[in-house]
This record gives sequence, structure tokens and C-alpha cells, in this order.
Amino acid sequence: MFLNDSDLQTIWLTIRLASIVTIILLIVGTPIAWWLARTGSRLKWPISAVVALPLVLPPSVLGFYLLLAMGPYGPVGHLTRVLGIGALPFTFWGLVLASVFYSLPFMVQTLQNAFEAIGDRPLEVAATLRASPLDTFFTVVLPMAMHGYLTASILTFAHTVGEFGVVLMIGGNIPGATRVASVQIYDYVEAMEYAHAHRMSAVMLIFSFLVLLALYIWRPNARNVIRGE
Amino acid sequence: MNLSLAVRKNYGHFTLAADINVTGDRVGIFGASGSGKSTLVGILAGLMKPDSGEIVLDGDCLFNSAKKINVPPQLRRISIVFQQHSLFPHMNVRQNLLYGFKRTPHEYRKICFDELVTVLELEKLLESGVNILSGGEKQRVTLGRGILANPRLLLMDEPLSALDDSLRFQIIPYLKSVSERFGIPYLFISHSLVEMRLMTDSAIVIENGLVSKQTQSDQLARIYMGESCAGYINLLELHSMKERNGLCAYSWEGGELLLSHGNRDAESGLFELSSKDIILFKQHPEAISARNLLECTVISVFESNSKTGVELAAGSGRLVAEVVKDAANELDIMPGARLFAAVKASAFRRLSKKDKIPAKD
Repeated sequence: MFLNDSDLQTIWLTIRLASIVTIILLIVGTPIAWWLARTGSRLKWPISAVVALPLVLPPSVLGFYLLLAMGPYGPVGHLTRVLGIGALPFTFWGLVLASVFYSLPFMVQTLQNAFEAIGDRPLEVAATLRASPLDTFFTVVLPMAMHGYLTASILTFAHTVGEFGVVLMIGGNIPGATRVASVQIYDYVEAMEYAHAHRMSAVMLIFSFLVLLALYIWRPNARNVIRGE
Repeated sequence: MNLSLAVRKNYGHFTLAADINVTGDRVGIFGASGSGKSTLVGILAGLMKPDSGEIVLDGDCLFNSAKKINVPPQLRRISIVFQQHSLFPHMNVRQNLLYGFKRTPHEYRKICFDELVTVLELEKLLESGVNILSGGEKQRVTLGRGILANPRLLLMDEPLSALDDSLRFQIIPYLKSVSERFGIPYLFISHSLVEMRLMTDSAIVIENGLVSKQTQSDQLARIYMGESCAGYINLLELHSMKERNGLCAYSWEGGELLLSHGNRDAESGLFELSSKDIILFKQHPEAISARNLLECTVISVFESNSKTGVELAAGSGRLVAEVVKDAANELDIMPGARLFAAVKASAFRRLSKKDKIPAKD
């Protein structure tokens, strides 16, 4: 077979991780992006910088601080212990939490751009047509930002799939629990099992290509180009 | 509509300090770009919050800074027709039209969807996407959507500015007939004196954020005649066109008028004639090149800037001509005086391309 059971288990874990992170970030990222797109507050710039930090920080730095925060003496670790959840480092859910932070800018910045592109006018029109702010969000903003949501989801999912440094720092390399595709490839290379490494890498390569292809094809302008409009 | 508004809004370099008391169903707000018209619209609709003041519409307080009252826009029952780009692109025409209607409580739903669609001639477009509509069609849909929300006041914020002249005068009859037919008062915001006269009875003038004048719309055109490059624009309804010696002979309430160009496809229409294009004679000229010579009586004389405006009666038609003060003295112009008005056949410009003339007041 092209991939062995361990590979399939790793791929399934990676897909599960990326899906959960994307769903969490859709829920968490929407209000943050909306606030950043609409606010005139001076806090906008420091918060924008915090959101963008994972883009420039070495993953090991982010992973290190997250490890400290989730550890037994960190605030998150303290909270999870009080809640009876136990320690998060080197667990699947610890990996989820770390990935949420790591992929946050991909979701928030993309949604923020989509919201900003809508402008004030549709919101003002909806308000004068008796729509409440929540009603306006679901009937005007969400449909108009749908492409932004699609792009943000694809980018977040793909970025989570490609994580390595943060995963290694927070999740380690526990088969079936925290070993994701990128770590599996690293293991194969370390063990000089290049054939296995090739197969997994090919899967990742094709996946990444298809994701980007989908992204470009689903852009509204791209559809017009294909139709020759 | 009974509107009382006294608000102040500061933007750093610009302050709007408007104090308006107005009664009427067809009111205009006139002012140049940047004078504060759109800010006033936003404040009235609840889209902007004034720094201080009070807004009372038909006895209901919409804003009062002292009492900390600020009714949100969705509860004010004020619809806006914006200049452009205001249709929801993810909805078709029907969905756009029904957006406000569906959110209107049943007790306020007085306008029939089908009737409105017929008046606006949108029947064939209902299932179309809004991106394929022409500029004029988009504005008709925007207007219909605003009306279907059953507002107590319709704000039209330069609804014609983004349209070219031919479309603009196609839309005006719709704007007028819809609000009149469904009994919705409106505030019409524009920087065009012609639009003001066609759409409104009275007008409020805003200059640099302050209300400088409140007057009848026709009076407004006279006040600005001397400052305007176009002068006073006479609006003439002409009909029963016949060809004569290569010219178009139209019937007008003041007599027959000969027009020279581009009007052969229109049996009737609305035409403009600038006060600058009318030459006055004290006596009948022996021979002139102008093809229209009307015997007139001076009804009134008014001053505007350095110019003298002369209101003339020709038959049952009315015209306003302008002359410099020296000429007025030389011609001895005063009410009751008889004069001859000469107008070139090429001086007229057709406004409405269709044979649809905005309804008379």
C-alpha cells in the first residue's frame, strides 16, 4: 500500500486537528476581525500587532511561551487543573489550543480585510431598512464576506496542517495523540526512511497544491477570467 | 412632515450647526459639496450621532442630548435613497425590494408590493441580479426598496448625481410619482437648482455647516441666478411637435417655439432654457436671426448679485430673463412694461428623453 497504518493515523489526526482549529477560529476570529474592522479605538493597533505576532515569531518562541502558560505553574495550566481537565501539554487538546494561537492571524486578518471591503454603506442601508445590527450581520455582512470566510478557512486549515515547530514544542511526538504529518515526515527523515518520507511529503505537496488551486479558482475574479468575462 | 432639528456636530476642521424647523412633504436641502448636507442626512437617519442638540420628527423625539435620547436608525422609520452603490449585491431585485418590507411590522405595511413594482416598471427585472442593472434601474430599485420599508420620511441624498442627464430626467418622474402616490414625505438633498425646482416646494440652504436660507424652491433659483454660470433655468413643457423648414415647431403655453436640433424623435418633453439665452427688446426688431420672438409683459423684476432678473408673461407661459443693470435701466424695465423676447432655436436643451414629463405640482 502507498501509505502504512501509521501514516493514515497521522493524516487523520492532522485533518482532525486542522478541522477543529478552523472551526474554533471561525467562531473566535469573527468577533475579533469585526471589531478590528469597525473600531476607531486606539487599542486597535496594539491588538492588531498581537494578532499578527505568530506571523513573525519563530514557532519555537511561541511554542515555548505556550508551554510555560499551559504548564503546571502557568495561568492556563492552573485553570485547567482547577477545572479538572488536567495538564494540556503533550495532549491533542493542548495541540489544538497552541494551533489556534498559531493560526489566528490567518483567520483574523483575512476576515478583517473582507469586512473592511464591505464598507459602511450596506450596513447603513440595512439599518435604515429596519435591520438590527445582528440581523445586518447575518443577512448582509456574512453573505457579502462569504468569499473572505472561504479564503480564511482554507488558509487556516492549510496552515495548521503545515505546522511543525509549535507542534513539536507543545505536542511532542505521541502516535495517535500528537504526531501530525509534518512530525511524521521529520521522523522518517531522521530514521533515513526516505521512501516513506517521500510518500508522506508527496501527499502534503499535492494537498497544498490543491488547496492553493481551490483558493485561486474560487476567487470571484478568477471565475470571470475562466469564463472569459 | 413636521421636522424640528437643532444639532451640532464637530469634525475638527468642520462644524455642522444646523437649526431647522420645516413643515411640508417636499422639502429640499441645497448646498455645495462639503457644505454638510450628507452629514445632516446621516444625523437625521441616526447613522451619525450629533455632539449635542435635539431632533423631533412629527412629534417624536429621535435625539436629545440633554435627555440622553438617541433612537437607533432601525427604529426611526426613515429610509434613505443614496447616490449609488447601495443595493445588496448578493440579493436579486425582488430580495432587495423586500428587505425592508419584511422587517416592517404588519401595522405599518401600507404599500402594496405589486403596485409599487408596477409604478416603478420593475416587473421584468424582479428575478435579475442587481449587478446587471443599468444606473437608472438600480436607482428605481433603491427607491422602491426605501418606499417598501413604509417610512414616515424618505431621505434622498443626491439620488441623481451619479446618473447622466438623460437618465436623471427619466428618474425624476419616478421619484415624484412614487412618493406622491404612496403619501410619503421626503427630504431631497441636491446641489442642483433644477432638481430642487422639479422635486421640492421649499428648500433649506446649507453653507459651511450653517443653515443660511430657507425659502421657496423657485425663489432659490432666482436668488442664485446671478451667481450661477447657467443663470436661471426656465423649464418648459413642450408638446405637439411638427417639422417646419428643418426646425421643430413645438406648442408651448406661451405660444409656438421653434427648436433646432436633436428633438425629432420626441413628440413632447421637458426642455430647459437659460435666462442668459433670452434677449429683450423694447420695440419689435425689424429683422433678427433668432427664430423665436415672443411678445411679453413684465410681471416682476428682481436683483441677483450684479444681474437683474425679469419675470415675463408670454401668453399663459412664464419665462425669466436676465440682463445687466444698465440694460434694465435702458429698457426701462418695470412690472407691466411690454417687451419682446428673442430666443435662438438652438438655445433649448431637452431634459427628458422619454415622453414623460414630471407631474406638475
